[in-house]
Order: sequence, then C-alpha cells, then structure tokens
Amino acid sequence: MLKIGIIGAGTMGGMHADCYSEIPDAKVVAVADARIDAAKRVAEKHSAQAFDKIDDVLSIKDIDIIDICLPTSMHKENVLKAASAKKHIFCEKPIARELEDGKEMISAVKKAGVKFMVGHVLRFFHEYVTAKRIIESGKIGNPVMIRTTRAAGHPQGWSNWYSNVQMAGGVPLDLIIHDFDFLRWCFGEVDHVYAKGLTYANVPDIDYSLVTIRFKNGVIAHVEGSWAHISGFFVKLEVAGDGGLFEFDSRTSSPLRIVTKSAKAGGGGVEVPQNPVIESPYTTELKYFIDAVKNDKEPPVTGEDALRAIEIAIASLKSMETGKPIIFPLI
Amino acid sequence: MSVKIGIISFAHMHAFSYADCLRQIDGVEISSIYNEDEEQGKSLAQRFGASFFSDYNKLLEQKPDGVIICSANADHKKHVIASAESGCKHILCEKPIATTLDDAQAMIDSCSSNGANLGIAFPCRYIPAVMNAKSAIDSNTIGKILAAKTTNHGRMPGGWFINKEKSGGGAVMDHTPHVVDLLRWFMKAEPVEVYAEIDNKFYKMDIDDTGILTIQFDNGVFATLDTSWSRTKSYPTWGDVTLEIVGTDGIISIDSFAQDFDLYSDANMKAEWVYWGDNMDMGLVKDFIASVKGEKPFQIKGEDGLQALKVALGAYESAKAKNPVKI
Repeated sequence: MLKIGIIGAGTMGGMHADCYSEIPDAKVVAVADARIDAAKRVAEKHSAQAFDKIDDVLSIKDIDIIDICLPTSMHKENVLKAASAKKHIFCEKPIARELEDGKEMISAVKKAGVKFMVGHVLRFFHEYVTAKRIIESGKIGNPVMIRTTRAAGHPQGWSNWYSNVQMAGGVPLDLIIHDFDFLRWCFGEVDHVYAKGLTYANVPDIDYSLVTIRFKNGVIAHVEGSWAHISGFFVKLEVAGDGGLFEFDSRTSSPLRIVTKSAKAGGGGVEVPQNPVIESPYTTELKYFIDAVKNDKEPPVTGEDALRAIEIAIASLKSMETGKPIIFPLI
Repeated sequence: MSVKIGIISFAHMHAFSYADCLRQIDGVEISSIYNEDEEQGKSLAQRFGASFFSDYNKLLEQKPDGVIICSANADHKKHVIASAESGCKHILCEKPIATTLDDAQAMIDSCSSNGANLGIAFPCRYIPAVMNAKSAIDSNTIGKILAAKTTNHGRMPGGWFINKEKSGGGAVMDHTPHVVDLLRWFMKAEPVEVYAEIDNKFYKMDIDDTGILTIQFDNGVFATLDTSWSRTKSYPTWGDVTLEIVGTDGIISIDSFAQDFDLYSDANMKAEWVYWGDNMDMGLVKDFIASVKGEKPFQIKGEDGLQALKVALGAYESAKAKNPVKI
C-alpha cells in the first residue's frame, strides 16, 4: 500500500483524493492546506490526518508519495521539500511559473532519485487519446493545420491567484498549457511561436489568447484559450491533414442531457449536459503514476515534458509582450 | 425600362450565382456577357438571354447601365479601367480588388476620374447572421470589442486560383479579404499590422494552401484568421466563414452557413451539409441594382477592397520576413 500526502485542498486536491480512493494499493493518509478547515474537509472524507503545512506531512515516516495541488507559484518550494525528503512526487500542471524553477525542480528530483510526474491530464482523456490514435493511423494523411480551443469563464481560486499574471501566467500558462502539451505529444518540438492576448491588458475577469505555433516538422497549430466565455467550459479540436480532417466540439458530443425545472429560470428548464466515462481521466493519470512508483517505471509524463510545455506558454507570453515571434529553444 | 447589366467574365464561379440573382429581380436584364472561354460564354448568353461578346470593349460599347466583373484576380484591373473609361457609371468587381496595391489604386483612381462608382463584391456583409451581429455590435451588446478569432476555410478550388500570375496568391489571397472586410465594417477600424504562417503542405503545389494570419487593428483589437484550403474532398461542405468576437460584456459567435441539413446519400457515399439559409449574393446584387437605379449608393467601395488586399499582401510579406509587418 502506497501512502499519499496531498498538499493543497482546493478543487484539484479534493479531486485527487477521490481518485486515489478508486486505486487499489493507494491510500491518502494526510492532507495539508494553510486553510486548515479545507484540509480537514478532505481529510475527514478519506479518514486521513489534516495538517496546515507540508513539513508535518513529510514528518510522517512511512509516507511514499507527495501530491502537490497548490497554486503554481508554490510548486517549486514544495517539490524541493518533498524531494529532499526522498518522496515520490506528483505535481499539478504547470510545473512552474518560470523555466529556471522548472529546471531546478527536475534536477532536485533526479538527485533524490524519486519518481516525478506532472498533471498533463489531457494525455489520459478519451477524446485526446483517440485523436492521437487517428493521427497515427494515417487516416487523415500528414497533419498540416491544427486548431484547438479551450474556453471557460474566469476561474475563481484562493486569493484570486488566477488573475495574478506573475503568479499564474494567465491563460497561456494555466489553461492552454494542456493543449501545448497535447500538441507537443503529437507533433514533437516547437520551432517558433507567435501570440496575441489579453494577459497583460488588465481587463477585469477576462483573459484571452490566440497562439500560433510552428513545429519543427512543419505542422502549424492555432491555439485559442479563453477565460472570457461566460457561457461555460468547452473545448474544440480540429486536425486537418493532406488526406482528411477530423473535428470535435465538446458542446455537441454530450451523450446525456438532463433538464430540470428551475425557479431561477422562471419555471423554465435548466439543462446540464454530461459527458460521463467509466473511469475519470484524473484517476487514469494517477493510476499510471502509482504504477510507475510501484514498478519502478518512467512516468508517462516527465518533468522534461512539463518543462517543454511551459516553454511554449512562456514563449507565448513573451511574444505578447514583444510583438515578435519567439524562436525555440528558450532553454 | 429595365436596367441592363453586362457581365464581364465568368472566370470566378461567383458570377453564376450573381447572374442567377439578377434573373430573379424584376426590371433587370442581363443584356451582355463577355467571357474568355467563348464556348462557355455563348452557352451562358443563351441561358441568360444575353448577347455574347468575345471582346469586352465591344460589350462596353453597348453602354450597359452597370457591369459585374468576375474575371481572374489579375484581370480585374484592365476590366474595371476599361469599364470606367467607356463611361459605365456602376461597376461591381469581385474580390480581391486586384493582385497588387498599384493595380488597386489605379482602378480606384480611374473610376474616380471617370465618375464611375466602383463597388467590391463582399457578399458576406449580406449574411443575415452577420447583419444581426453588426446591429448587436452597433448597439453595444457585448461592450468594447477586445479580440476576434475568425476562419474562412475552403476547398482547394483549382483552375486559375492556383496560377499565381492570375490569382496573385493561393489560400491567403483567396480567403483573407472577406473576413478582413467584415472586421473593418464591424469595428470601423483599420488593420495596422499582420503576422502570418503560410505553407503549401496540403497540396504541395507552387502556391500557398495554408494560412494563419494574426491582424492588429488601430483600435487595439487583435484577430486571427485561418484562410486555409483545409476542407478535404470528403468534407461535408465547401468551407466556412466564422467569427468569434470577444467583448468586455460578452461574446458573439457567427457560423455563417450553419443553417443546414446533414444529408447522407448513398449516391455519393459522403455526408453533406445542405444549406437552407438565405442566399447572401441576393442582398449584394439587389444593393448593386439599387445603386445602378440611383436609389442609394453602393455601400462597399473600392477603398474597402484596397484595405482588405493590404492585409493579404502584408501576410505574404510577413511569412517571408518571419516577422510581423506594418500595413
């Protein structure tokens, strides 16, 4: 049985705890959060201990894994602490706000000889796994032009940290980092990036980015990221090749819609679409990590992958600031 | 007395639709047709009850009340200038206005000095969804516009479209003007800078088939435009015109041709989207006829065509320079 300590009891921390409860050989034994009440809420649900700092969790002798679900700017400090305590580490994406921090984290976990995986969960979503399979099948010929969209309203987090560009890196580093990793997974390394966005525009509760990526293999990708779509979360993916094309819009692929009468809607209906799958991609992701720890394997998403993903995000931010295309590599 | 319209060339397929529209308007006659392909021109003349001319100057000597020019892009200049010089007062020219800025300017100048009204065919302004979006923007429904994500995808059209001499460029030349015109019209703003990734990997011909433009406007708004001929032969429709406009108080999404049926026919073993919405060309042609009749001036001027062309040409320049360029 692998014993897990979750650091950060926000949305992701709570969800990870639920995921571990579905994984044999994994047990959440501790939850830490500076907001002790939040830590207690998650801990109680899983019969774990609650703490207000990582140091208390690390002092539990037989703990095996530290799962970090904190705001991005706190990743480095906590990964370094966990690494020096020789714990295996799962860290939420993005790995860090800055490339240098990411590099330091990677060398710390290497030195500690522990497993390290970053939560680029798209690689475990049915639709993205299938998309990669179609590309690899050759059914659309050689891919040429990719379009992705990831859109939502503005997220609300602890101390409104998502709005702080210095902390969160806005849409490029926090939202479309998912698509950056997915695209790099499919098409390899990036040659250059050009981006426009509102990340530095200081529009209240709105961030929006349009990023063009040219990969070394010639593929062009257009990545839209939005914290302006108040209608709710959705994603789109289109892959056009010289022999075919496939496209996907999460808003039109819900197999289940439940409409209920609502007083708020003046007696009209409120529709909630659902997109259920048997196993949550977050559970699948953590299963791979547990497997890597248990069987001494390389995790499917490495620290290097995570670093290369933030490289694309940071290049996007840099392009927004300078108005120029950014040539890779940055590190 | 009916209004007499001459059509100079059916090289651009939009001419067929404009001719069909003209035929449906009372008091309008397609009096004369010129076409490079004589055989096709004669059969079209018969179909539309027009006289055929193998020389466009001869057509212009008939003094039509207005002409519609749908020749290949590079031929617009000579046809527009000849029309203006012949004394024709109403000229509707297919987009893009021309293949070079000099040509476009010469056309505008010639029309102006000859007292001719030069209109550019941007029929997308007549799509009902686009017109409603324009009113919504004008009434400040989504607040201040911040950004836009747009597409004008298509199939590889072949023919003279892939001959650089005639077309001036591939997908970027073909599919930049419509959306740039809509954005200018929506925002009353001008493009000032463009960055573009351009390639030819879909068909590997000596002409671009892929384009992603990032356009900066003088009101601070940025927009991307995908001009690619990325719609494969197997795709259910020819392409699209979509605009997603992000404002401080909301978002407008336009999918211009979404009014369609999903058709599955064993006859061609391919899904098809069959459009049932209004024909945008009818609004364009009706407005042109109204201007010919002197009822109201045509809203889309030569300068609008020139501004849109600047972005397309700037995009090619940017892709070559691997940097954004001022326009």
